[in-house]
Amino acid sequence: MIVEVFNEIVSMLSYVIPVMIALMIVALGGLFSERSGTINIALEGIMVMGGFIGAMILYVLLNHTELHIQLSVFIALIVGALSGMAFSFFHAFASVRMKSNQIISATALNLFAASVGVFVARTVFGYRRINVDESYRIDVPILSEIPILGDLLFKNAFLSTYLGIIILIAVIIILYRTRFGLRLRSCGENPHAADSLGIDVGRMRYAGVLISGLLAGLGGAVFVIAFQNRFESDVRGFGFLALALLISGQWRPQRIFVISILFALMRVIAARSDSIMGIQAIDIPTEVFRMLPYLLTIAVLAFTSKTSKAPEALGEPYDTGKR
Amino acid sequence: MKNILDTLFKPFRALGSLFGKIPWKTLANWVLVPFVLTGRLLVKLKRKIGATAFGQRLDKRWMKILTWSGEKPESINVASSLIAVFLGLLFGFVVMLVVDPSNAVSGFFTILFGPFQQGMRSVGDTIFYAVPIILTGLSVAFAFRTGLFNIGASGQLYVGAFVAVYIGVQWDFLGPTHWIVACIGAILAGAAWGAIPGLLKAFRNVHEVVVSIMLNYVSIYLVNLLVRSFIFNPTLNRALGPESSAHIPTLFLDNLFPRSSINIGIFITLAAVFLFHVLLNRTVFGYELKSVGLNREAARYAGMKEKRNITLSMTIAGGIAGLAGAMMFLVPGTYIRIVDVPLEQGFTGIAIALLGLSAPFGVLIAGLFYGGINRGGYFAQSLYREEIVNVIIAVIIYFSALSLFTKQVIAKYIRKRTKKDVQLQESKGDVG
Amino acid sequence: MHAIEMLNITKEFPGIKANDDVTLKVRKGEIHALLGENGAGKTTLMSVLFGLYQADEGEIRVKGDKAHIRNPNDANDLGIGMVHQHFKLVNRFTVAENIILGAEDTRRGFLHYDDAIARIEKLSNQYNLNVDPHARVWDISVGHQQRVEILKILYRDAEILIFDEPTAALTPQEIDELMEILKMLAKEGKSIVFITHKLEEIRRVADRVTVLRDGKRVDTLEVSKTTNKDLAERMVGREVVFEIDKAPAKPKDAVLEVDNLHVYSPFRKQDVVRNMNFEVRKGEILCIAGIEGNGQTELVYGLTGLNPITSGTMKLNGEDVTALDIRERSLRGISHIPEDRQRHGLILDFSLSYNMILQNYFQPPFQNRGFLQDSAIVNHANRLIETYDIRTSSGAATLARSMSGGNQQKAILGREIDRGNDLLIAVQPTRGLDVGAIESIHKQLIAARDAGKAVLIVSYDLNEVFMLSDRILVMYEGENVGVFDPQDTTESELGLYMSGSKRSESA
Repeated sequence: MIVEVFNEIVSMLSYVIPVMIALMIVALGGLFSERSGTINIALEGIMVMGGFIGAMILYVLLNHTELHIQLSVFIALIVGALSGMAFSFFHAFASVRMKSNQIISATALNLFAASVGVFVARTVFGYRRINVDESYRIDVPILSEIPILGDLLFKNAFLSTYLGIIILIAVIIILYRTRFGLRLRSCGENPHAADSLGIDVGRMRYAGVLISGLLAGLGGAVFVIAFQNRFESDVRGFGFLALALLISGQWRPQRIFVISILFALMRVIAARSDSIMGIQAIDIPTEVFRMLPYLLTIAVLAFTSKTSKAPEALGEPYDTGKR
Repeated sequence: MKNILDTLFKPFRALGSLFGKIPWKTLANWVLVPFVLTGRLLVKLKRKIGATAFGQRLDKRWMKILTWSGEKPESINVASSLIAVFLGLLFGFVVMLVVDPSNAVSGFFTILFGPFQQGMRSVGDTIFYAVPIILTGLSVAFAFRTGLFNIGASGQLYVGAFVAVYIGVQWDFLGPTHWIVACIGAILAGAAWGAIPGLLKAFRNVHEVVVSIMLNYVSIYLVNLLVRSFIFNPTLNRALGPESSAHIPTLFLDNLFPRSSINIGIFITLAAVFLFHVLLNRTVFGYELKSVGLNREAARYAGMKEKRNITLSMTIAGGIAGLAGAMMFLVPGTYIRIVDVPLEQGFTGIAIALLGLSAPFGVLIAGLFYGGINRGGYFAQSLYREEIVNVIIAVIIYFSALSLFTKQVIAKYIRKRTKKDVQLQESKGDVG
Repeated sequence: MHAIEMLNITKEFPGIKANDDVTLKVRKGEIHALLGENGAGKTTLMSVLFGLYQADEGEIRVKGDKAHIRNPNDANDLGIGMVHQHFKLVNRFTVAENIILGAEDTRRGFLHYDDAIARIEKLSNQYNLNVDPHARVWDISVGHQQRVEILKILYRDAEILIFDEPTAALTPQEIDELMEILKMLAKEGKSIVFITHKLEEIRRVADRVTVLRDGKRVDTLEVSKTTNKDLAERMVGREVVFEIDKAPAKPKDAVLEVDNLHVYSPFRKQDVVRNMNFEVRKGEILCIAGIEGNGQTELVYGLTGLNPITSGTMKLNGEDVTALDIRERSLRGISHIPEDRQRHGLILDFSLSYNMILQNYFQPPFQNRGFLQDSAIVNHANRLIETYDIRTSSGAATLARSMSGGNQQKAILGREIDRGNDLLIAVQPTRGLDVGAIESIHKQLIAARDAGKAVLIVSYDLNEVFMLSDRILVMYEGENVGVFDPQDTTESELGLYMSGSKRSESA
């Protein structure tokens, strides 16, 4: 019995980890943007862009070349990330240079990504979807033989998982141990201070948004390729869930990491509640589990709002004229 | 070695061929060259005409218009809206050129004028499709006026739709008042859904945008669940349709617009527009709501109960969106389906509200405009379809976001020409 | 040779010439004061020196060489540093992080703090700055924060230090400490320019003073060879009357009685006002004096109802109103001219007429059965425009945003006085206004008092306090530390109470 439960947990975890990594990547992207002072609710749209272009590339690579699967995936992920970055440029431009309403420009991006994706898919592929159905899981040689840990981390794993861990570590180091990170954070807390010390706030904020685009695009590509196996018009609110993760994690990478596990867990339970034993016994319809992550987020927001440790200048466009 | 290089380069070549499919020549021929030429021509013309007496009179007229506009900040707002529309349409046109150059021009004009070309039926359909959009636009606009961003109109619409359809299906004992009760139910449901972010914002200072977005998704799953449990049609995998007594009546409109889907929803919508105006501009309540939206601190200092007002704002906005849901689904032939993503009407409402500068009449016109190009999209070559219209709308929103910049440019120009100081007035959506 | 020469500097902004052909020469090792009223151009001039703005005309020379200062970095490279009036510190960061920001040490790309911290401590000791590199800025006092700012520029080898109104937010203790630090810095060869409008400070530390007025340079004088009257006249441009024409007060019954009041501040999460006892009577002006930040704001918030009263009572005309909310108190007879007129007093995007009914829009004749009565509203506004000489571009329909600060304040004043309430509370009523507007408002306040109203004024300008008040109450750290008759006391005596050095038993 215990062994079964244990295996159950391990197998569930093996689903949770990829989702959690994807969530985390996007949330960390959002972290860069918001820590530099720009609200970014366009994570969803950027994910769509990254996912859509990544899927297109992958489709071409899989069907028209003989490249190794993982290499194709890798290329597709990189391209997806880069296109996410390019797309986020519009948000950066509107928010930093034009000092416009950050929520509205982000909403425009979300809408645009959704429509353009479907539009291009239809015209180029003749169909709303792009299928990239393959098995992407890998078993890392040697390391997957390790008991327990091996099953968890190295068997049936995704390439993205390792990318994600690297990204997490890189983000923590960059944000807190480098000059760039210090300056970036100062722009989100007190851009006047940064400006008076000769830091180019605009450039920093651009960097923040573009990095968020890079990571969100990567996350989107991961989502579309690894989870959905096809591109449809959106990423199921994943981008907004990542935003919620960012807020619940109080803009700190360590917290984001921890809470991402929780959110991913919710998501997995929602998606697979039929196949998880124990859940079947309770007669709760699947929709409830789907709602849970969002409801939880609202609850978290409601209770942490008063003591929020958001970057102090978040959402305020910096006007050099108002020095 | 050669093989490896070959395989490495193949994807780039594939991309390249995709790239090559873009008709750069046509683009240049149809966009770049005309623009440059027209620009040059206009400049020459301007100089020539400017030298004549006629030109001087025109210039004087233009100065008069500018001066008048400079004193009326609202006119600058309207101008920036129109510019956003123009830019959105331009972008759409360019995209259409890229995809299918030969049909682009005719397709574009079909989008703009299609409904009129096809007769009264399509005009009626345009109005019919515009109704829910106008209502969601009013919902978002109402929230904007009070300093809030109602991005949750989709969710409010959807729960409203469910309640309306539920009453429509189950409460068939109601007779002639059936549809009225269904609409009221929808309004109440939407209001309740809108109250949630309102309360959270008022009492816990939670940003209403994130909450609303979350609720959009919650509403989908909730409605899916409720539809499946109570009013499901398993064979067709969709909700049951409301009884005919619950359909919005068509009255005489059937004769005016034969074979079209239009119903008296348009009159209800017009009433909503009128109520919006009266409520916001003529009543004490509206005065309070606007105050809270423009300057929360000052409103508090003036003794206004801002918590109550913020909650009520979102509640009312939610109610309007709920009504939109009723308008969408209390009609024959449209059914609630099991969906995975929020309905787009909620987001188009944002565009409409921005375009219409959050003013009731403006939203009405913007909504009708949207209905028009949406229907037009259907009539255009099947290659373009709805998505291109959404692309256009998205670009319009983007440029609306830049509206502050556009207004500053306009104001600068007016200042330069008239040498007078021009004040800009906030239009909703300028502040977050 | 001068350390800094600013020659014929002209800087224009849309609609206003902030600096008009101004020349300033600062010697090495001197403390040079820059004196002027609000809007005289002092901050602009220094911003040009510091690279925040570019002059339209004119030349800057540093140590004799022509200099092009395009941004603060250039200024820093030339050894120029500025301590701003509103500190530019990142609250979340530590002192050390704030100091090194923009000039970080890195080893192989990573931040390296050891050398920096050592240097900070050395500088701190050298100039007696007492700065703790590891503290977080949101934990330390205002004086400490200012010293961090000073250290910031010393760290960057500044030779020329600019101070913008450095004593605005300091306690008298901290001001003394700052003055010593300035003298020490000058002794070590640093050149100091400090912007101020306080004559006493100039007397204490400055060697020379340059007076600016309306963007032009009026004069440069040796401090030891000039009187306050000379300086004040140059600053204002005419004979400054340090007194105002005022009949003696004839106070009657108390309108406001405050007993053992405690007011809570949600921002500071504690009772900021404690044990306040005082009263204001009909026909008198009571001024609350004190350094900004000693609870005056919270006291007024408590009286008007914005901050909760945690204990004690407040009576209006004998009636206990402690438990009533903002509107109820307002209706019972409190008129209030808020500290921040743009934030609390007006809704800038409303018309003037809509703003004039902000306090009583819900009463007839302005509304009838829930609907606004536009004609009554406009008439009311027009009447106020007449009576209080409010200048507008389009009358009652003018957008409040397009009115000048002085006219906005006149409008608020008019609105509040017109309501005819017994108690008029005015906080910093002449802040940021030009001399003409200030005179006008002072006249109105005195008129209100003569008409039998009880007037409570909070002011951080001792001059104004002495001019207007019949009685003065000093607040220190949220408490009443003494009540005085302006005829019987001096600014320096009050200063002692304001800094907590003294405390009246009868308070």
